[in-house]
Amino acid sequence: MTPRNTLQVRGLHAGYGSIRVLHGIDFCVEEGAIVALLGANGAGKTTTLRALSGMIAARGAIELDGHDVGGTSAADRARLGIAHVPQGRGTFVDFTVEENLALGAYTIRDKRTIRSALDYWYGIFPWLAERRSQPAGSLSGGEQQMLAIARALMTRPRILMCDEPSLGLAPAITRELFALLERLNREHGMAILLVEQNARLTLKIAHRAYVLESGEIRLEGRADELRDNALIQRAYLGT
Amino acid sequence: MQLFFQQIVEGLASGAIYASLALALVLVYRATRVVNFAQGEMATFTAYLAWQLHEWGVPFVLSLIIVAPLSFVLGALVFRLAIRPVMTAPDHTIVVICIGLFVGFEAICLWIWGSDAYAFPRIFPDTAWTVGGIRFSAANLGVLGVLCVLALGLAAVFRFTRIGLAMRASAAEREKSPLVGIRVETMLMLGWGLATVFGFIAAVLIAPKLFLSPPMMVPVVIYALAAATLGGWDSPVGAIIGGLVVGVAESLGATFVGFIGSELKIAIPFIVMAIVLVLRPQGLFGKTAVMRA
Amino acid sequence: MMGSTHERPLLTAALVMVATVLAIVPLLFPSFLVYQLSIALTYAIAILGLNLLMGFNGQISVAQGVFFAVGAYATAIFATRFGLGPLATLPIAVAMSALIGFLVGIPALRMQGLPLAFVTLGLAVLVPPLALKLDWITKGATGISFAKPMPPSWFPGNQDTFLYEMCLVSAAICVWIARRLIGGDTGRTLRAVRDNAMIAESLGINLTAVRLAAFATSAAFAGFGGWCFALINGYVSPDSFQMTMSFNFLVGSIIGGITSIAGALIGALFITFVPDWASDINLALSGVIYGAALVVMMLLARDGVVGLARDAYARLRPTLFTNTSRKSSQVRAADLAPIKTQGRTS
Repeated sequence: MTPRNTLQVRGLHAGYGSIRVLHGIDFCVEEGAIVALLGANGAGKTTTLRALSGMIAARGAIELDGHDVGGTSAADRARLGIAHVPQGRGTFVDFTVEENLALGAYTIRDKRTIRSALDYWYGIFPWLAERRSQPAGSLSGGEQQMLAIARALMTRPRILMCDEPSLGLAPAITRELFALLERLNREHGMAILLVEQNARLTLKIAHRAYVLESGEIRLEGRADELRDNALIQRAYLGT
Repeated sequence: MQLFFQQIVEGLASGAIYASLALALVLVYRATRVVNFAQGEMATFTAYLAWQLHEWGVPFVLSLIIVAPLSFVLGALVFRLAIRPVMTAPDHTIVVICIGLFVGFEAICLWIWGSDAYAFPRIFPDTAWTVGGIRFSAANLGVLGVLCVLALGLAAVFRFTRIGLAMRASAAEREKSPLVGIRVETMLMLGWGLATVFGFIAAVLIAPKLFLSPPMMVPVVIYALAAATLGGWDSPVGAIIGGLVVGVAESLGATFVGFIGSELKIAIPFIVMAIVLVLRPQGLFGKTAVMRA
Repeated sequence: MMGSTHERPLLTAALVMVATVLAIVPLLFPSFLVYQLSIALTYAIAILGLNLLMGFNGQISVAQGVFFAVGAYATAIFATRFGLGPLATLPIAVAMSALIGFLVGIPALRMQGLPLAFVTLGLAVLVPPLALKLDWITKGATGISFAKPMPPSWFPGNQDTFLYEMCLVSAAICVWIARRLIGGDTGRTLRAVRDNAMIAESLGINLTAVRLAAFATSAAFAGFGGWCFALINGYVSPDSFQMTMSFNFLVGSIIGGITSIAGALIGALFITFVPDWASDINLALSGVIYGAALVVMMLLARDGVVGLARDAYARLRPTLFTNTSRKSSQVRAADLAPIKTQGRTS
């Protein structure tokens, strides 16, 4: 039984105004898999995520669980189950920790569901509970990143997309973060699309990976194969 | 001395009305970064609607209750039709749209009801109490009471309701809000609707004193602009404090500064604005300096 | 902004054609229409000044009507008190407006955008009542009347025609000055300060001098327009210069296109005639129609009428002129198709 694809992307073109960034890329994220999208600055990684979540206009097929979501708005895509943690702290900086989580749960009507989701995340991160009335902006970089992920997962989305979560974080925190992602994937079968420049750590937790260069997919394959690939080693792992 | 305190009381009462309109302006500005100076004319229009219903025999309070949601719809419609299409346009485009709305709404009032000034029913009874030689009229206290209710109500909506949270998020983080499923443009529309209701309330409060006529709110808008500037354009609390301060400044200035008298009273809000812009451009409670229009 | 090198002679030719047509207008039209066109021309001069300030230098002003009034009143006062003829009052009107503009420009240095709009709004609102109060200079509500200039003996027309042609010549002079200012280094400097003041300063541009000069020049244009206005009416009073005049200039500037010289004339024609047409359609509804016209115009033409024309021209150009085929391996057929917006960002 071949696993279904949670996310299937075909021929994705996107850009900003007259500047074309993505030139028709294809990739997919299977159910329950962690897929990495690697590349250097300017390759188009952030543009890809923004096109998928609907923040920018794009052309091409975007299918979530087999249904085309290309024609829907960003808010609708979030309701359908595409959770995007944008680059640079996806938190609502002027809002409290609890308000951030409440915003994450915006589309949930049932109070009990919201309550249990809150309890779940306060359980994983007790410090979140302690700081629940503090503005998100007062948290450290790593804490904000984890809050952003918790926020994105309040609704149990179909797929979690993270844009360079390790940016600006100390290595120890990054390891914690990646451990969290790996745990979420293992315990809940959460499909994750992870965009990163830090290839080494990413390839350790990912199942498959793509390499994006100048708006096109240059390489794809299983994470362990790519780790051994000479190109990757030279370009991204510095060996 | 007594005159001084009396003028302060009067000033606070007018200030409460300026604060209500300033709240409307600040709500709209926070959400959409537009200074809708046509808010006053829209408010006048809704006040006329209430007046007309009353003229047709509907009990006054019922007229107000009927027109309040209509004001909401009016604000939402104006946003949807005239503002939303040009939100990405240069700022001066939106300025002309607001001018167009300003001229248009005043003209609609003129067309339907003519230029005569009408007496507007009082909400508060004509009684007054004198304490320590200072007269507190029911109207003055009532107006301040309404402002309190508005302020607390708004604060409650923003802090304790899901919709309030979504509205705040849409205003503060327009790009990120859709990611949690918030339909930002709907929230902005709600903001405009709410602001128009506040404007309606301000108009209804001041109409008994100024008499209902098409240009009734024009000076009030100027005071409200000064109030919002003083308080900080991104702060509802600032709008309230700013309104009260401007009201008191108007009252004291008109009474005690000879050259200004009553013809140049309108200079006072501009003097306040000028002082604020030079000394503390972001206003008393504002966070970012409102620089690029 | 003024077109590439092979379009410049085209534009000059167009302007000359327009000027010629405008010159023979009095022969074709009834005298009231000629009078209205004269008024429109004075407005165009003021709006031209506003475009220099707002469009090219990025400083917003809701006070252009005030400088216009200063020019008009200076003309009237010096004509009546000192018996000066029009040629003598012109430099005085322009100089006084420029001076006031310069003075207003000083506090403006510290503000941009919204705050500046408020301050200039304050001027527009306060000056008319102030003019009423200072009635020892301005004669208050009565206003000042004086004799309109008579045409010289060689002029083949009546006084109205002469005044019209005078406005036309004034407008032409102002257009010429504006084009020279915009086209050369001055224009570049203005735009540099508008687009990125920090970088401009690091390039050695004196921001203060440029901004003050822009304000003064813009006011000078308004003063010129005010001089014409006073002469063709032979009368000034605070009534003519209410706050709505400043708003109208702002509207005219934006509707025409704030960075366009032709736009100044288009905007002036709009604010002169559209309210009238609105009244003709339905007197009681005229304000509603005018307001609706403003909203609709902005919804359709965000960058003003001239911006709309430029867009249309840019789109038609490939079909109007033969295009050498551009073959590049980078360009793929798929890339030339417009990217459709997938869903709204709601």
